[in-house]
Amino acid sequence: MIKEASVNQRTEPHPVQLGQSYWVKFQSLIALFILCVAISLVSDKFLTVANGWNVLRQISVNICLSVGMTLVVLTAGIDLSVGSVLALCGAITAGLLKNGIEWPAQNIYIGFTILGAVLIGLLVGAALGGFNGWIITKFNVPPFVATLSMLTIARGLTMLWTKGFPISGLGDTFLYLGTGWFLGIPVPVWVSLIVVVFAVLMTSKTRLGRYIYAIGGNENASRLSGIKVNYVKILVYTIAGGLAALGGLLVTSRLDSAQPNAGISYELDSIAAVVIGGTSLSGGRGSILGTVQGAVIIGVLNNGLVLLDVSPFWQQVVKGIVILLAVIIDKSNSKND
Amino acid sequence: MKKKIIKLTLFILAFGIVGYNSVYIKKLDEVKAASKGFDASDFARKFWQNKLRPALGKASDTEQLLTQLQQQKEKTFKEYGHSLGMGNIKYFLSKGKGVVQEVSENNVSIQVGPDTVRIATEYVFGNAVRDASGQINLSEFSNTMDLNNVSAELNKIIRSEVLPAFRKQVKKGDTVEFAGAIELNQKFPDMHSVEVMPIALRVVK
Repeated sequence: MIKEASVNQRTEPHPVQLGQSYWVKFQSLIALFILCVAISLVSDKFLTVANGWNVLRQISVNICLSVGMTLVVLTAGIDLSVGSVLALCGAITAGLLKNGIEWPAQNIYIGFTILGAVLIGLLVGAALGGFNGWIITKFNVPPFVATLSMLTIARGLTMLWTKGFPISGLGDTFLYLGTGWFLGIPVPVWVSLIVVVFAVLMTSKTRLGRYIYAIGGNENASRLSGIKVNYVKILVYTIAGGLAALGGLLVTSRLDSAQPNAGISYELDSIAAVVIGGTSLSGGRGSILGTVQGAVIIGVLNNGLVLLDVSPFWQQVVKGIVILLAVIIDKSNSKND
Repeated sequence: MKKKIIKLTLFILAFGIVGYNSVYIKKLDEVKAASKGFDASDFARKFWQNKLRPALGKASDTEQLLTQLQQQKEKTFKEYGHSLGMGNIKYFLSKGKGVVQEVSENNVSIQVGPDTVRIATEYVFGNAVRDASGQINLSEFSNTMDLNNVSAELNKIIRSEVLPAFRKQVKKGDTVEFAGAIELNQKFPDMHSVEVMPIALRVVK
């Protein structure tokens, strides 16, 4: 009887702990709410429908990157190459669409439709991500180093492909992807919504999702329990690369131009969204919806700082402080757990 | 075995349909013959004659513009300022008349009402003339290099056709009619060193 009571005492959460767990669960939403109230008090342009759509359209790209980054971080990895992969895939799609491929020796010109150019852009992104995963698993290279190398390689390839010049004038149909509206909602928002829904279902309802969490929690235990760790990791990096390419298509379409320096420091924004959303950098803990909240916070913060006419240099300082705070809160939550 | 064949057939079929709708092949020489390269010089010449010169008729009066900029900065920038991109740099198409105060190596200072403006006579660079008219349509350009080449060609026209005669003729005390482009930073407009990139210049005496 005494034993039973002591067990019950251990399993039932104390009211203070219960309050803490709610706080942890909703801390991103509370932060977002406070941020929105604070910005709307000092800027009358913030709480407008047009600005709302503007923020959502802007964060769509970061959501695509961040969803992929979340999967990678859940396996205790990191992908620093997403910004460069985004630029390369956008440039490849734009280049194929605009110039096609010339084969002078055979007097052949291979032209690409939007479908063809988009598919190749996505495939290149996925392939580069897969290559990251292969290098990490095959040669046991730390993800930080492998993806940092890819960051440089992809940026260099982008410069080679574009010869350092933007590729513009991609046609109205392609522009629809980044600037169009469907059922009263911007197309990029639809795209990011579909990505989020798929990712949530994958992480919560499929075996692959459980494997991802398991690998991040304890890689050795996962391997011993029969999970094909390397295969899952390569798959996760492939998905992250594909989503970076999707982000590249959205950016290129929105600007009607593939810029050789597109996506610089986007990896930092996506890591920030993941960390602010509560995903642990040591893997195994976090969620896609948390990342979405993180991306919205970053987007609202960016938008607010622009509306308040804060210097871009200070914007970087503020963003850095927010990320730092998020990591400190994450560490403190981990200790409490 | 049957399932495998069906799967393989469906895969090949899907791949074929996607491939067919993704790529088309043509003869390279036919494609090259059909697509002519962008001629920035020709574009600039037509733009100068058909759009820029006629737009001078609607250019703002420099004296009024400078007064309004000091009194109602935001409204004036919104009403008269042009730019192709985002940011604080705006361009104004403006014309006026004034007395030459000084002729230096790089510019000619002209008293316009209470203000002094400088007509650039040596360093004619940048996008001011191209952007000030607000008549450039970005969709006509496939890349920014073409767009920048148009600026370079317009500046070349100014250096070769507008400035030589004026520089020979102008001297201190002359009355000058001018029209051109003014570049100002919306956030920090420097009203004490307004420079005009000339499009038309005439010494009235």
